[in-house]
Amino acid sequence: MSWLRSHIGLACAFLAAAAAGPLHAQMQAWEKALYEAAKSEKEFTVYTAHYTTETAANLCSAFDKKYPGVQCKFVRTTAQVAMQRFQQDLKANVAVASVFSSTDVGHFPELKKQGVLMAYRPRNLDNMVDSLKQYNDKDGYYHVTSAGLVLLSYNNSVVAEKDAPKKWTDLLDPRWKGKVSIGHPGFSGYVGTWVVEMRKLYGWDYFERLEKNSPQIGRSVNDTVTMLNAKERWVAAGPDAGTLLSRDKGNPLSVSYPEDGALLMVSPTGIPKNAPAPNAAKLFVEFLLDREAAEIQVKDRSQVVVKGVRPLLGAKAMDEIKLIRPTEEEIETGIPEVKEKFRDTFGI
Amino acid sequence: MRGDFAQWWRHRDKSFWVWLLAVAVLLVLVINPLLRLVLASFQQPNGTFTLAYYAAAYGRVRHLDALINSLVLGASAATLCLAFGLPLAWALSRTDMPGKGLVWVSILGTFIIPPYLGAVGWMLLAGPNAGWLNRAFVALAGTDAGPFNIYSMPGLVLVTACYSFPYVFVFAKSALDLLSSEMEDAANILGAGTLRTTLSITLPLVLPAIVAAFILVFLEAIALFGTPALLALPGRFHVVTTQLWQFFEHPPRVGVAAAFAMPLLCITVLLFWVQHRITRRKGYVALTGKGGERRPVRLGRWKWPLLGYCLAVCMLSFFLPMVVICQAAFAKAWGRGFSLDNLTLRNLHFTLFENSLTRNATLHTFLYGGAAAVIALALALCLAYVVHRQLVSRRLGDVLSFVTMAPFVIPGIVLAIGFYAAYTQPPLALYGTAWILILAFATRFLPIAYANSAAAIRSINPELEDAVRILGGTRFTAIRHVVAPLLKRSLAGAFIVVFIPATRELSAAIFLYSTNTQVLSVLLFDKSDEGNFEMLASIGLILVFITVVLILAGFRLMGRDFMLRRTAA
Repeated sequence: MSWLRSHIGLACAFLAAAAAGPLHAQMQAWEKALYEAAKSEKEFTVYTAHYTTETAANLCSAFDKKYPGVQCKFVRTTAQVAMQRFQQDLKANVAVASVFSSTDVGHFPELKKQGVLMAYRPRNLDNMVDSLKQYNDKDGYYHVTSAGLVLLSYNNSVVAEKDAPKKWTDLLDPRWKGKVSIGHPGFSGYVGTWVVEMRKLYGWDYFERLEKNSPQIGRSVNDTVTMLNAKERWVAAGPDAGTLLSRDKGNPLSVSYPEDGALLMVSPTGIPKNAPAPNAAKLFVEFLLDREAAEIQVKDRSQVVVKGVRPLLGAKAMDEIKLIRPTEEEIETGIPEVKEKFRDTFGI
Repeated sequence: MRGDFAQWWRHRDKSFWVWLLAVAVLLVLVINPLLRLVLASFQQPNGTFTLAYYAAAYGRVRHLDALINSLVLGASAATLCLAFGLPLAWALSRTDMPGKGLVWVSILGTFIIPPYLGAVGWMLLAGPNAGWLNRAFVALAGTDAGPFNIYSMPGLVLVTACYSFPYVFVFAKSALDLLSSEMEDAANILGAGTLRTTLSITLPLVLPAIVAAFILVFLEAIALFGTPALLALPGRFHVVTTQLWQFFEHPPRVGVAAAFAMPLLCITVLLFWVQHRITRRKGYVALTGKGGERRPVRLGRWKWPLLGYCLAVCMLSFFLPMVVICQAAFAKAWGRGFSLDNLTLRNLHFTLFENSLTRNATLHTFLYGGAAAVIALALALCLAYVVHRQLVSRRLGDVLSFVTMAPFVIPGIVLAIGFYAAYTQPPLALYGTAWILILAFATRFLPIAYANSAAAIRSINPELEDAVRILGGTRFTAIRHVVAPLLKRSLAGAFIVVFIPATRELSAAIFLYSTNTQVLSVLLFDKSDEGNFEMLASIGLILVFITVVLILAGFRLMGRDFMLRRTAA
């Protein structure tokens, strides 16, 4: 029996080596070293507010396949909850997350200031789309691993392409009275940043006038997708990914890239200083900046942060469109201000 | 000496230790998070006393408006719940109305639909521009616009009541199920008609259950987050929970949130005092040792209008929203509306078979819900028994009642944070395990279990147990052979009212789940966060379907003809 068992063991080891062989051959020295170190850590947990649950699951299993022996686990939730959990972990002195990804860029300078992040400059940084590099931390504490847009969206069964709004100020046109849908800056970082940017471009007057068009105010930026599909509202300031995913299923939705600029949202990833599996975490960050991960994300309509991966039909790549984005300081000081002003103007 | 001790020990009521244990568990589960909440409202991070949080919480007219809106919402929704729930409970429990099975299953279905899913359904039904009901009205009446607007206080009240009235129904029905017909007969003999008998005999007898249910739905209505977030924000008004959410924005102002949550606690205290006033010094014992017969009330020609009313309520709460949910669940793209080429089973197939995430989450949801219901019920029964058989002093009993009911008004997010802080480190490092979810669910729904158990225990005449004890049985014997069998049916109802909310609980789950303990409510929330309504609807549909089947199977297994008249208990 023991003879048999040891032979099966040997055979398994051989097969595993054979399967992993070609992969290992492709690995560069630094990657191999990281992988070997990660293997002894066995598993790691990612706190993420990026992606949909399915994309997060797909990324994790692709990682597992590429690096057998290192198990990727994830907790996918909204940005505020992810941050809240992470802070609770710190307070309780338990280390759970080895990777922390939030869609709220404001979280990262704060974590950096708290001194709870580990500096790590990924080798794969060269792969990143050039226009996004400016949003990485200059000291290497966090890097952009996901991006999205806020743009104009509409239901194409009631609005023809030629009539669709082309720039942000078109939403103020009286013909859209009672037909506009937006989110709430108090509930969504995407909407908050959008309000800051609109104020920067057109002054608060933009929202005074928008109010006259009685827009419907949801919570998340994705609520606009539901409202457009229901035909309750016809045009919206909506997200690219959520709208296009729904369109991929056959829903009558279209996006329109505003002439005055689509709002770019960047979502960074950092590694906590107390990460229980620091090497696996580094390997995962490298993986997120690699082509394989980008190809998984492209299917779920995320904007790709890796060079040379084209988006699917109906969407444009980032280098083809005009992008706008407030500076980090403008976001940091602007969001609390506009939340109050928004409440004054819209009453909620 | 030893002989004395042995004698003392022999005569000592051993059940004492069980009660003590129950109280200790209560301390851990409730007092700890509650204390944190009160402290947080007065304490700065460095520990000094402050009233600044109260100033911040109540210094704005907008915040006060939110408070008033919540009170209006709570009172109106609870009243509407009584209007929905009581006639249905009476019809199903005491009359010979036809179609009882259908009504019962649709109430069960209503209860299982997560309120925010129902709210989304109603947005599509009664949205002012494109709601189906409005379009139908326009087509029929030839007007320019339909009359319905779900984004308003009446709309919010309706939707809230639709998904809370099952509490009233279950409470009232389990109380009505215990009444015998003799007292009604007495009224009949004295010349009262069916209506008068019902209003002046039957209803007052189940008053404790009605009051408890009213309080419960009132609290549920003011503690609800999903429905107001979907309906009140577009309607341009705030309620306490949507306002509380804003205090939790980053950086979270826990102190302000805690201060703002205090009126909820005060209202709970006030409600209990009112309950106390209403029900004290009256006897509500309905179940004695003297048998008693139960006959359904003959409705005669009134049975059709009553059935019509029951179905109308079910239409509002179950059938209409289910049509919307089914349309989305079976649609390739629900925005394209009804058409044959838009039909697909892909969403359901994907959810059930292709996605291991949803499969595991489904399993977890029911396991944790079941475990939480058992724990909550056991604890609630012990406490209700202690309080209502006065094994502790009256005052302590009142305190225990209050503490048991308190978790209901602690915002779920606060409770979750309390749990998180308390159970992520030794000696009770539960984080990452299923237990932290189960205990949190049990705590959250302990009040429901308690309100139900207390109403049930009050209706049993203590003389039944006294008989056992006089004949030499211990208290445990009395409970096992007398109380428990008598309570079986009430407990089945209580199990359902804890199990179902536990399967759809979100606010605590979202903080406490981890990769290996994913539950459906969190997945549902993710889908709504992603604007993925097709998947949202199909997960919702699966949740409703499996729960209904489980519960019906459960009743079969219990061997009780739960719809029919009660045989010997």
